[in-house]
Amino acid sequence: MTLNLCVLTPNRIVWDSEVKEIILSTNSGQIGVLPNHAPIATAVDIGILRIRLNDQWVTMALMGGFARIGNNKITILVNDAEKSSDIDPEEAQQTLEIAEANLSKAEGKRQLIEANLSLRRARTRVEAINMLSQ
Amino acid sequence: MSCSNLTMLVSSKPSISDASNLSFRSVLNPFQLLSQNSPSCSPSRSSVTPVQCGLRELRTRIESVKNTQKITEAMKLVAAAKVRRAQEAVVNGRPFSETLVEVLYNINEQLQTEDIDVPLTKVRPVKKVALVVCTGDRGLCGGFNNNIIKKAEKRIAELKDLGLDYTIISVGKKGNSYFLRRPYIPVDRFLEGGTLPTAKEAQAIADDAFSLFISEEVDKVELLYTKFVSLVKSDPVIHTLLPLSPKGEICDINGNCVDAADDEFFRLTTKEGKLTVERDSVRTKTEDYSPILEFEQDPVQILDALLPLYLNSQVLRALQESLASELAARMSAMSSATDNAVELKKNLSIIYNRERQAKITGEILEIVAGANALQ
Repeated sequence: MTLNLCVLTPNRIVWDSEVKEIILSTNSGQIGVLPNHAPIATAVDIGILRIRLNDQWVTMALMGGFARIGNNKITILVNDAEKSSDIDPEEAQQTLEIAEANLSKAEGKRQLIEANLSLRRARTRVEAINMLSQ
Repeated sequence: MSCSNLTMLVSSKPSISDASNLSFRSVLNPFQLLSQNSPSCSPSRSSVTPVQCGLRELRTRIESVKNTQKITEAMKLVAAAKVRRAQEAVVNGRPFSETLVEVLYNINEQLQTEDIDVPLTKVRPVKKVALVVCTGDRGLCGGFNNNIIKKAEKRIAELKDLGLDYTIISVGKKGNSYFLRRPYIPVDRFLEGGTLPTAKEAQAIADDAFSLFISEEVDKVELLYTKFVSLVKSDPVIHTLLPLSPKGEICDINGNCVDAADDEFFRLTTKEGKLTVERDSVRTKTEDYSPILEFEQDPVQILDALLPLYLNSQVLRALQESLASELAARMSAMSSATDNAVELKKNLSIIYNRERQAKITGEILEIVAGANALQ
């Protein structure tokens, strides 16, 4: 019995195939999903999604969204998703540094909100690459 | 030349009926036809053909018109190919928006009895409005950019009349340069679009609107883009982006709300050998979901996660439609430019041939006259 995983972003389908297990970061912590999981709906935080296909783990950076787990069918809707193999390590590191600099420069509630969001995203991307190398 | 232009201006103004004036005008009219664009020399038959004497100049002119025609035709074909790609992008985004709408419906059904208080749906008394204006990056697309900018100016005037403050988020090089030249319009941020709108760009715009709204700097965010109606017609429309209605309705500026499940998408097809666009209205199936679905978090938190997704997809759709209408406008502008070039080349060729034949006839006459004189 395998799970059917669908990861959708507003402009394309990132993943649509069968997997053995996934580990998802939600607002209330990480949850692991195995076949025959109880149906739940959850919000997805900006974080890492790990997918297991036959003892091989694939990492993906998700930029926040929603996940619905049904009868062995998982649908994840996110703003943006990137496979760790598609992320350039140097570029991700640079983006992280720029985001940190922006956060220290941010003034006012609005700039703080924006800077925080971009920092979290940059951090997730860097983490995705680091996890791949483990 | 400038003299004749002046007299043309005088004649075209509606004048009080005066006998002398009337005769003045009637005398001028034939001159108007003759000297319309010409710098000098020979009169021409048709009223709009510019004329230059000199076979060589005519030849270079014909060459340049031919090259221009090649370029405009190539631009038209490129735009047609890009419309197809833009259409594919819209189709690719459908699974996302369909699933999102389904989930939104289900959650709303389950939350009917509760009081939802999500910051993105909070309706506040409006004091300041943010306008997101989507223009294109390049020119040569007919009236596309102008239409959007005119609509933006109209909306700004309306807001000023209502006494509301406003700020602009400009997307696209053409809009950016327009607003840069007018420092009296407060612009929040300039963003550039790429060739094909991606989720990242839509996210940047959505982030901006989101932070403006949440930090209570503005109380309403409106999205201004061109809706792709058909290959020759496109409408600039204004949609209210924030505050969102919790049911996910898309509301127009006048308050006409369209249900989120009613989705329209366009298809580029051929009908009777010509490219046309068909719009299909599709309603997403909103079936009852299994009631055993448990929420991992508070339903309010889940809604909090869903609505930014919805915001993003709305912005992306607006960008895609804007791009499609820009490409369609460019297609039709380049197509009429090509037709004009063909006609211009034909007229120039006729004049060139006449000149050439006149020259040959002149030479023959000279030779014959010379031969006669010798006898």
